[in-house]
Amino acid sequence: MGALEGKVAVITGGNGGIGLATARRFVKEGAYVFITGRRQAELDKAVSLIGKNVTAVRGDVSKLEDLDHLYDVVRKEKGRVDVVFANAGLVDPVLLTDSTPDTYDKQFNLNARGVYFTVQKALPLLADNASIILSGSAAWQMGIPALGAYSATKAALVSFVRTWTAELASRGIRANVISPGPTETPMVHVGAKASDEGTSDYFKKMIPMGRLGTADELASAAVFLASDESSFITGIDLPVDGGTASR
Amino acid sequence: MGKLEGKVAVITGGSSGMALASAKRFVEEGAYVFITGRRQEALDEAVELIGRNVTGVRGDAANLDDLDRLFETVKREKGKIDILFASAGTGEAVPLGKITEQHFDAAFGLNVRGTLFTVQKALPLFNDGGSIIMTGSNASAKGFAGWGVYAASKLALRSFARTWLNELKGRNIRVNVLVPGAIATPMQEEVLSKEAKEMFESMIPRGKMGQPEEVATVALFLASDDSSFVNGGELFVDGGMSAI
Repeated sequence: MGALEGKVAVITGGNGGIGLATARRFVKEGAYVFITGRRQAELDKAVSLIGKNVTAVRGDVSKLEDLDHLYDVVRKEKGRVDVVFANAGLVDPVLLTDSTPDTYDKQFNLNARGVYFTVQKALPLLADNASIILSGSAAWQMGIPALGAYSATKAALVSFVRTWTAELASRGIRANVISPGPTETPMVHVGAKASDEGTSDYFKKMIPMGRLGTADELASAAVFLASDESSFITGIDLPVDGGTASR
Repeated sequence: MGKLEGKVAVITGGSSGMALASAKRFVEEGAYVFITGRRQEALDEAVELIGRNVTGVRGDAANLDDLDRLFETVKREKGKIDILFASAGTGEAVPLGKITEQHFDAAFGLNVRGTLFTVQKALPLFNDGGSIIMTGSNASAKGFAGWGVYAASKLALRSFARTWLNELKGRNIRVNVLVPGAIATPMQEEVLSKEAKEMFESMIPRGKMGQPEEVATVALFLASDDSSFVNGGELFVDGGMSAI
């Protein structure tokens, strides 16, 4: 019997990287998953990879009407949500000196504002004892050049779950952040753009374990936080970063 | 198939509470466990409760000779360690002004010194790729009156984890601190008054203490390959008490 038998999960940004690996693992553990992404072709590919118990809903998490559409579909098909994994996010490495309102806004609009409303709009459908998981980043605890706005968006998430822990505990709903370190995904290569070194070398120096994490390693941590195995864990930030933030 | 199939685990303070629940869960997941405790009677009861794949070794984790004996037994019986859960700990409420050397030494002697030497003496037996878990306390993140010495001793473990992360990375041994909040264990029953229990429960968002089994699941996560990229961190298991 899987750790998520019979649960309904929504995973934003579920068409690639950590989101996709998590969707596959959730289904393997017995869940039905809804995944979102902006590009239909990638969503279709993800759906065929996941294979069963999955619905893809195209949409942009920074657009509130897309979120409304997402939850309309979920309500019609399943009527409730047990796990929300607000995972959609983007990184645009740019130094403070070169930042513009546009580079700032696009990161905050998706990573902070989009996540906030992903959760708010899920609330009417959330079952008692549901689990909310936000995709953070080890970067929020660090000082990585060019990741100033990005890291701040992720720090906001650590604050969100603390407030939500207090607001939602009476319904038994838990809220936590998973903070990946450098992980072998397409996005990590964007994050390393500010460096002249190759992605692997740039990040390996940062990671005590001497290697990048895998999307599957993030997925197993997400299963843990989604499942009843973590029933007394709420309001935390769980770094899954090979020691990057603790070194 | 269990998550710890074929693994050998050592759990200090394993004769009661969270550590006992973890020992039980580890065995259910396929591990062989060695548990320690100071009282033979409690240890015997724990061994009987766990039922199989367990060896009880009487000893005090603050006593280096006892630790030597523990690891000699492990070496003789299994020859290796995959998981060390250094969980033995002690604490009592004594406010600043009333703290004695004995009070300080008891807490630091077991919680810090004992944990350090438990880990150091386990290392020669450790398989590469193993997992070390230490038990912290969310008291370190709060400011509970009277618990200053205990809280400080537990925060030292977070510092150890950060240093050892770097010292042990070549062997791919992970080190993490499991940080419980108010858990309904026999130790809590013993040291907390009814008023204190109510005070703690009022600080937990769900209004109810954690159960030892809810800590055992977290220990299992940190012990298993499910947490293979979780290292040098602290994992709070306190129902959100320190988050709000």
